[in-house]
Amino acid sequence: MKISRRKMLQQTAAAAAALPLVKALAPLAPVPPKFFTPAEFALVDELSDMIIPTDAQSGGARAAGVAAYIDARLAESFEREPQTEWRAGLKAVEDLSREMNGKAFLQSTPEQRLAVLTRMAAAESDPKTPAERFFRSIKGSTIRAYYTSKIGIHDDQQYKGNVYQTGDYAGSDAT
Amino acid sequence: MTLIRFKASQEQDVDLSRTYDAVVVGSGAAGGMAAHVLTSQGMKVLLLEAGKKLPIEQELRSMEWPYDHPRRGDAPPGSHAIRYNEYNVRQPPYATKSAFKHVFSYVGGWGGGDYVKNILVDEKDHPYTGTRYAWVRARLLGGKTNIWGRLALRLSDYDFKGKTHDGYGEDWPIAYADLAPYYDKVDLYLGISGHKENLPHLPDSLFQRPNKLTAPEVKLRKTLATMGRTLTPYRAGVTTDGVKHNKYRSKCFGRGACGRRPGGCDIHAAFDSPTGLIYPAMDTGNLTLRTNSIAHEVLVDPNTGKARGISFVDAVNHRTYEAKARVVILAASTLESARLLLLSKSRQHPNGIGNSSGHVGHNFCEHVMGPGVTGLVKEMVGAPPTLDDGKPGGFYVARFRNLQDKQSGFIRGYGFEGGSGFSIFPGNAWDTPGFGGQFKKSVREHAGAFINMGGFGEVLPRYENYMDLDPEVKDSWGIPVLRFHYQFSDNEKKMCEDMATAGREMFEAAGVEVVGVDKNILTEGWSIHELGTARMGTDPKTSVLNQFQQSHDVKNLFVVDGSSHVSASCQNPTWTIMALAWRSCEHLADEFKRGNL
Repeated sequence: MKISRRKMLQQTAAAAAALPLVKALAPLAPVPPKFFTPAEFALVDELSDMIIPTDAQSGGARAAGVAAYIDARLAESFEREPQTEWRAGLKAVEDLSREMNGKAFLQSTPEQRLAVLTRMAAAESDPKTPAERFFRSIKGSTIRAYYTSKIGIHDDQQYKGNVYQTGDYAGSDAT
Repeated sequence: MTLIRFKASQEQDVDLSRTYDAVVVGSGAAGGMAAHVLTSQGMKVLLLEAGKKLPIEQELRSMEWPYDHPRRGDAPPGSHAIRYNEYNVRQPPYATKSAFKHVFSYVGGWGGGDYVKNILVDEKDHPYTGTRYAWVRARLLGGKTNIWGRLALRLSDYDFKGKTHDGYGEDWPIAYADLAPYYDKVDLYLGISGHKENLPHLPDSLFQRPNKLTAPEVKLRKTLATMGRTLTPYRAGVTTDGVKHNKYRSKCFGRGACGRRPGGCDIHAAFDSPTGLIYPAMDTGNLTLRTNSIAHEVLVDPNTGKARGISFVDAVNHRTYEAKARVVILAASTLESARLLLLSKSRQHPNGIGNSSGHVGHNFCEHVMGPGVTGLVKEMVGAPPTLDDGKPGGFYVARFRNLQDKQSGFIRGYGFEGGSGFSIFPGNAWDTPGFGGQFKKSVREHAGAFINMGGFGEVLPRYENYMDLDPEVKDSWGIPVLRFHYQFSDNEKKMCEDMATAGREMFEAAGVEVVGVDKNILTEGWSIHELGTARMGTDPKTSVLNQFQQSHDVKNLFVVDGSSHVSASCQNPTWTIMALAWRSCEHLADEFKRGNL
């Protein structure tokens, strides 16, 4: 049929790794999370924003409401497994933080948090520990949620398509 | 922009007491074409479609932004799309024991399962058995044309006369010259986009405005030209200039939705059978449509042995009905038409109707895919975003193997489908290591810098690759299901090795840094180009149909879909399916008028 089938395979695999993730236009909505505890939600929010932070070009994962999207998808997950894995993954982050810094992740200094996340990401291509495996999960979900958000598509990527083109079509002729 | 949309005329009340001139089973590319040609010749036609009629624009919502969808396009909880690994580590039926509420083929897992959840069949209702096979089915008015990939290519005499060329298999009972006028008719009636190349092995169509290429694609095109190979803009079965005789379709505005989902076009610039063929056919007053009508037997006149109609089950009320007709035309898709022939056992046709040769279900062929190459175009890194995906497809590299040359490892050939540049989602994010500001910047700078292409190769038809009826397993309507006996052989495997090698060579020749070479072969069936199973031929002992897709055994029975193809070629089959159906139905109408059927 077309090249998309190849992308399809890649994206299916990525989605499998990523997790079911929902829309949340309001970043850090004051409403209580649907699946996470407030503490878990705050941790996901911080981790996602460290993975895709705000920079001069665009807002980051926090501004894009990534944590709320992940929370909403997990809350309605048909399977229990993703929920269990996320809860365990977040606990692995806290365990690693206590081991490295002697305190909870969000109680740590920015440098200490960075050290924890760096450790989690160290074996990205071949994760072994629970925290390393969880890095891949949360990174995948953050990518999926961020780059499908308004901020991701319009501010960061400055995507030009999904419009009715009139006049000259973009691109070059085959000559 | 607002477009005026014409609604199709209301379905007529279906009168099953009368005898129609013809009954057509299936409303996809083949069935739609049969309905168009026969009704335009004045024949009274009943069209049976197993699936429902959907408000398709509401399903596809081609312009919906991901963030305006509660699950960013994903299907609701409880839906599952079968994954590559599942197809390979397990055997069909894949969904029977699934805990999920709905299970879809792999297509449901790509870029918007919610948009196709009512288009794809629920695998739980439609099991099949036997060897592994990724079978993609769509049961609704228009079938798979609602979401097809749109690459619209002609075959040539390298394909029709393949046996003459290399000694393998059988020649088709027609030559390119026989079909060329009908390709022209399809081009003009439906619209096709492309660039003229004058290739003997990939004949040109009568093209409308071609799609544009990106700068790296232009560069690759120039490099390939020096190697005697051709990269051409995606030849899309999409009307880029509009078709003025059709009030149901708009021209393409390059919105790009077709590239980020399994397909589908809610302004119908991309060909689909309902707006392209069926609604205009209904406007003649000669077409009667009945949806939710699952054909399960071709009925036979006990005195003459001829077909007298179709027995079908209503998908909703599960009751059985009979449709009577003077001519029966199957167009249910390659595998479903074979299944229907095999299901139609009678005293006169004990092995299934039209199957005195024993070849129904055999000689199956398709396209093998999987191997491909991904490259980084360095000069595009950091380039400002451009509109690269506002078109129905990227590019196509025409077959170049075993034309003048002779490969040692395999016969026949393959083409590549590819694309490059920016799209709505930066897929490179998945493969960009790390996190933080550097990660984000890297994703942004590289988002438009990749080019990729994947091969589609000819699978040789073999008698021993076949499907039959499972003696025990039935679908949700109590109809025996297909059992697969099919796997790739050495020729396909060798060809796939060559795809990966040749892909790398071409990128490197163009100065593209190869960052990934995929050598894995995707599961049998993945291409959704299933063909054969009721092939045409001149010898009734080794073929099922004659050159007009007419049964050798039963002269008022025709099978006008991909099951009639003698070989798969490496070109996408939809345009050939429609050209053949047009030719056969013109012949059919002539014969009907002469009283020969």
